[in-house]
Amino acid sequence: MKTFLAIILRDVTLGFRAGGGATQAAMFFALVSLVFALAIGPEPARLSALAAPILWAGALLSALVSLDRIFQSDYEDGTLDVLVETADLLELRVLAKAAAHWLSSLLPLIVAVPLFALLLNLPVEGYWPLLASLLVGTPALSLIGALAAALTLALRRASILVSILAAPLYAPALIFGVGAAEAGAAGAPSFVPTLLLVAASSLFALVFAPLAGAAAIRFNMS
Amino acid sequence: MIADLANPERFERFVKPFWLTASALAVILLALGFYFGLFHSPADYQQGDTVRIMYVHVPAAMMSMACYTAMAVASIVGFVWKHPLADVAAKASAPIGAVFTALALVTGSLWGKPMWGAWWVWDARLTSELILFFIYIGYIAIWEAVDDKIRAARLAAIVAIVGFVNIPIIKFSVDWWNSLHQGESIFRRGGPTIDGSMLLPLFLMIGAYMMVYAALLVPAMKNELSARRIARLERMGGVSGVRPE
Amino acid sequence: MTRKQKRGVFIGFIFAAAALGVFAVLASLNSAIAYFYTPSDLQKLAKPPAGVIRLGGLVKQGSVAYPGGSTTVQFVVADKFAQTRVTYNGILPDLFREGQGVVVEGKLEPDGSVEASQVLAKHDEKYMPKELADALKKQGVWQEKNAPHS
Repeated sequence: MKTFLAIILRDVTLGFRAGGGATQAAMFFALVSLVFALAIGPEPARLSALAAPILWAGALLSALVSLDRIFQSDYEDGTLDVLVETADLLELRVLAKAAAHWLSSLLPLIVAVPLFALLLNLPVEGYWPLLASLLVGTPALSLIGALAAALTLALRRASILVSILAAPLYAPALIFGVGAAEAGAAGAPSFVPTLLLVAASSLFALVFAPLAGAAAIRFNMS
Repeated sequence: MIADLANPERFERFVKPFWLTASALAVILLALGFYFGLFHSPADYQQGDTVRIMYVHVPAAMMSMACYTAMAVASIVGFVWKHPLADVAAKASAPIGAVFTALALVTGSLWGKPMWGAWWVWDARLTSELILFFIYIGYIAIWEAVDDKIRAARLAAIVAIVGFVNIPIIKFSVDWWNSLHQGESIFRRGGPTIDGSMLLPLFLMIGAYMMVYAALLVPAMKNELSARRIARLERMGGVSGVRPE
Repeated sequence: MTRKQKRGVFIGFIFAAAALGVFAVLASLNSAIAYFYTPSDLQKLAKPPAGVIRLGGLVKQGSVAYPGGSTTVQFVVADKFAQTRVTYNGILPDLFREGQGVVVEGKLEPDGSVEASQVLAKHDEKYMPKELADALKKQGVWQEKNAPHS
């Protein structure tokens, strides 16, 4: 448990240091929102209808571009060797890495979501459903991302392959996440059930990502 | 005995009769299926002649999932017992399955335009089938990206096993969600809701597709076994470019 | 904690997560997560959804009309408990007919009707030859709802 927390603390600290990339993920998120807003045009009605999907897509893309930070630098400087060698349970260390990625790359972005939602004209009643769906669904992005990063660990220039592997598995969280946010904004009865499916996406990711990720790391390090 | 089959020559000798049978059956069943499907089966009371697309589409969709299942099972076998033949079978299944998936998507689209009124809708069945295609792509991509065959096999197996969650989602998507895609017609309680005259070409085509899969899988596996043998001999020779007799 | 205890806790944790996930799926399946709303769903909404919605149901018998002889078609989409009026200007799919399932995409008007931008026909899982369907209709044993198992 102590190591588990220590790994999270270390990664989060590194993430928030200059050049660590936590700010980069938030900047990228801002950029994606801006690009979508410019492409869609300034019409407020259109923007407000698309705000939730845009912000979800932005979160997904920010997760994708920050995945290589989960293991890559540790792999290059040998830290990962130590982590693997000293691990009682490598699965837990993968879990810690994924948790650190969520805390340093995705949580700041969720905190910033209300600001961007304001810029995109999201109606007031859409804020809580969107935040709830992001909070429940983005852990799946980090967990599945950690698995994809573990699979492509030993490859150079793997960033496209990481996306190809992770994106199809992101689909349920994205689809249900946007669905829940929109249903909640519309006051539809399907809000809670859809949110449950978002939660299920994260829970299933929580089951298979540490197991499969640890297996992938072992194969890549052997 | 099974271990010996990883040798390309022995593999070829062993599976040759099987391959010849499958190829012959594939040709015969395809010919019969097309004949019955195109000329000797009735038009549907609602869809008219467009129903004939079903004879190409339904077997392709079934095989897209069956190939993936075969790939996942082979991956588990390769993962647990580390048998090269299982790795090779899984690897060889992927492109065939991807083509079946693409065929199902394209023919479904051709059917959807006149019948539904749209080439494509983002309903649960269509979306999950499209995701299956991307999972195939990811699986093939990781084989391509990793040089060491053994490591590639293990990593690709993880992708295949994790991606398997999508298969029940495709299968049951039409029951779980209000989808635009119609529900199950063949394997359902109370028997198929397809008329007998239409079931015949459909089953002929399903059989034909299975044989096509087998007929394509065997040479693909043989090629992969040979490629591995060549790579090994090259490594042993220490000089790349040396071709063994 | 020893290695063994750790593993036990981890396995318990994994199983708990899996069970929770299955529970979440089952709990959500009891209510409709829809590609479309049904007319009754629309009635139950606290607040009409803004933007484009999808409405699914059966085209009510005898409701299809072309007012003014134009290309604009009006019909009623119904389920067991409620119905919604739909107006559409465009090409209808081959399968569109009265009694057929449709999914309509469009904007919900303030009066509760839908201004459709697209009409999709939903096909059911029944396939039978035209001649057989005609014969059954002639014999009077044709039932629109339950399919032939011939």
